[in-house]
Amino acid sequence: MTVATRFNSGRTGSGDAYVSDRSGSPHAQFMRLTSYALIPLGALSAWWILGLAGKTLEGVRAEIGRPIPALALLAFGAVGMVHARQGMDEIIEDYVHDEALKTRALVANLWASRVIAALWVVAILLIAAPK
Amino acid sequence: MADVDTDRLAARRPLSPHLTIFKPILTMMMSIAHRITGAGLYVGMALLTLFLLGAAIGGGAFAAVSWIASGFIGNLLMVMIVWAIFHHLLGGVRHALWDRGLYMDPQGRELLAQATLAGGILLTLLLYIFKTLAS
Repeated sequence: MTVATRFNSGRTGSGDAYVSDRSGSPHAQFMRLTSYALIPLGALSAWWILGLAGKTLEGVRAEIGRPIPALALLAFGAVGMVHARQGMDEIIEDYVHDEALKTRALVANLWASRVIAALWVVAILLIAAPK
Repeated sequence: MADVDTDRLAARRPLSPHLTIFKPILTMMMSIAHRITGAGLYVGMALLTLFLLGAAIGGGAFAAVSWIASGFIGNLLMVMIVWAIFHHLLGGVRHALWDRGLYMDPQGRELLAQATLAGGILLTLLLYIFKTLAS
């Protein structure tokens, strides 16, 4: 959605600007919709995450290995990382001014978010899997 | 020739916003904090993923992540992640209210900025107290 579009501008000449060429509204709408889902998911996940630091392995599994925490955390990881990717895209588009670097950063962001989401899902599934 | 000139002009054009020339005000700070907590949560999710992977694998892997997580830095990071979740969440609620045209007047947006800041800290504290009592 936020793939850089080359823009033909009378002001900056041909293809000299990164713009959200017609992908701006879908991007904003997507951030809104995912954020609505993330309100309950984020609050619930914060509840289960906070106590984890000092726990034993059994303690961690008892806390988030149950069906409802596991499902909520799965959804939080998946929806959260899609939302995070889109947000980081915005940050990159705002602050990285070198065109080649910007393109690379956007691709790196896409794959980093996918890897984090995938590993998160695998980890939760392994923790919640019946032993 | 004209194209080259306009290209050069475009490249030299100053970028907005100039953070340094604005008087720092609370609504602006909360806007910046929203972005910083968002980026921080990206990193936080990566760190949490490592912790969860350790717990999923168990044995030596869990011993390693637990050694970091149960120390001062680990606990601090956990609290910071939870605070960032709440701060970013409330910042999102603020934007949802603005989307509906609510609280857009000077008093309203100042109130929302204060509520975001205080609410994030308060919710984190409350959660910490509840979790400590519950365990």
